[in-house]
Amino acid sequence: MTMTDPRPMVAPARTSTDLVRPDEGMISREIFRDPAIYDQELQRIFTRTWLYIGHDSQLRKPGDYLTNVMGEDPVIATRGSDGKVRVLLNSCRHRGMTICSTDQGNAKFFRCPYHGWTYSSEGPLVGVPRSADAYRNELDKTRLGLVEVPRVETYKGFIFASWDAAAIPLIDYLGRDQLWYLDIPIEGALGGLEVLGPTMKYVIPANWKLAAENFAGDDYHVLYTHGSAFQIGFLPDYDTLADYIAYFDHGHGMGDIPKPGRGLANDLMMAEHFGPEAVDYVKAYNQRIADRLSPEQAAVHGIGQGNVFPNLSWIKFGCFHVFGLYQWHPKGPGELEVWQTTFYDTGAPQHVKDYARSQMSQENAAAGIFGQDDGENFEKITESARGAVSRTLDFNYTMGMGHEGEIDEPTLPGRLGPHYSEQNHRNFYRYWRQLMTEDRA
Amino acid sequence: MTSQLVDLQREAELFLYREAKMLDNNRFDEWLDLFTDDARYWMPITESREVGQERGPVAGEWALIEEDKRFLLKRNERLKTGLAHSEQPRSRTRRFVTNIVATENEDGTVGVESNLLVFQSRRGSSEQFFVGCRQDRLTRGEDDWKIAERVILLDHRVLPRAISIYL
Ligand code: FES
Ligand SMILES: [Fe+2]
Repeated sequence: MTMTDPRPMVAPARTSTDLVRPDEGMISREIFRDPAIYDQELQRIFTRTWLYIGHDSQLRKPGDYLTNVMGEDPVIATRGSDGKVRVLLNSCRHRGMTICSTDQGNAKFFRCPYHGWTYSSEGPLVGVPRSADAYRNELDKTRLGLVEVPRVETYKGFIFASWDAAAIPLIDYLGRDQLWYLDIPIEGALGGLEVLGPTMKYVIPANWKLAAENFAGDDYHVLYTHGSAFQIGFLPDYDTLADYIAYFDHGHGMGDIPKPGRGLANDLMMAEHFGPEAVDYVKAYNQRIADRLSPEQAAVHGIGQGNVFPNLSWIKFGCFHVFGLYQWHPKGPGELEVWQTTFYDTGAPQHVKDYARSQMSQENAAAGIFGQDDGENFEKITESARGAVSRTLDFNYTMGMGHEGEIDEPTLPGRLGPHYSEQNHRNFYRYWRQLMTEDRA
Repeated sequence: MTSQLVDLQREAELFLYREAKMLDNNRFDEWLDLFTDDARYWMPITESREVGQERGPVAGEWALIEEDKRFLLKRNERLKTGLAHSEQPRSRTRRFVTNIVATENEDGTVGVESNLLVFQSRRGSSEQFFVGCRQDRLTRGEDDWKIAERVILLDHRVLPRAISIYL
């Protein structure tokens, strides 16, 4: 399929050095409200990075499909009759109508509701009503299949796509150091990870970056934003949960990384309340990490949360949490749609699954006691960037500047920082600026 | 309709109206007393699926809310900490409960279905509606009815905002 390169645009001068100065810890509020900058983000960030699409467990059989969004471009991911997963732009090649309006299902073909052009689940245009008299058989169907996203790659069941045909391989984009940590929940799952029900969706009237940077390692906010959760005893003292944050190439970051040994000890303590079956589960999970990955990764056992640049966040902690993914879909500079998917270890004991599942709804989800307070922050910060005077001010991300690289933990990869630091935010915006201003990033 | 059923219907309506008023007036402790100690509170996620491929809410899949009275008590406790930022200040809410149908279950409990429209006004001009239906199972306590189970099915595919109020 030929299509024009979606990446030829020139960066506006304003997004370069003056507005975003990560090395000084200063980020202008403009980038959270300017429609022109938002437009540049859609073109320069969301068409050049790898974006999460779905999981293999959602597309088991030929014809299985799900819908998602890349930036503001709606897409359909389908498994073709050849077994291959393709990601197709969800828009008719005739006059643009949405081809598929459902969340997921199974379809042999997609028929456009407007004039009935029909596409196979692999994308080619296979049927045009009244082709002979309406088009006098002159329509070249071979050039009018659904636009296919040029790159689709999977990492251990997690499907990503990129509009950049020349993008580096997914595994290099995610990077060895980040994957060292992300492999822990993926490989630790005794029965493998499986999607647990529908995608939860809700609106936050906020700029997408505020949610992404928060999950990239804003452990500092937990103390106060989520202070109520500590007061009611929903969580133990925060500093007993984790010690470090870390950032990686390509803007990725994570938070709530425990010192080696702490994660397993916490989980075993928790397992005592659940009984011997849960204790065995925690031990088997940890042993599996040691066997399949390394003893150093088993010593970490469980990491809190992170953000895969640009807009895929995740949460995990240890064995008593499900693995949750959040896509912060941008809907203009002042709004985002959260699409939240939850995975569990099919090999976990039933009562651990039950606990983890309801815990996730209670904690970091649409009605969860964490999610709603985070959303309120992002919303009000976005509002704060609107006023003619306010928008000329910078946000301050200077925490920990001049002290990066002081953590000495030789077994842990990535750029480690202390629990409370804005080094990961600075890393996020460094890569953001690079994509916004450079043609090759 | 037998007069017995009319009485049941009337009683159910009054119960739901009184309950709605407690929530509209932020009387959360009083409201929680309306639940049995082993009450179940479930709000599954609504999906959009092709005709013929629909599936109802599935027990055991993750949900918007899946909890018991113990956690509802925690929610109330949280509201009192002064740190529940999404409800500081409190939202102004107004509940409209309609289309109420009460039926007697074989086990002596009462099934009550109703439609629900909730208006939420937050801070200044942030306003939204939540719309759906409730399927309640009520038991008759000594002096009042209690909610043993509440299932809320929202019609929204994409919720207009995070849920910080009781529906
Ligand atoms: S817009 Fe799809 S067939 Fe015309
Ligand atoms: Fe948070």
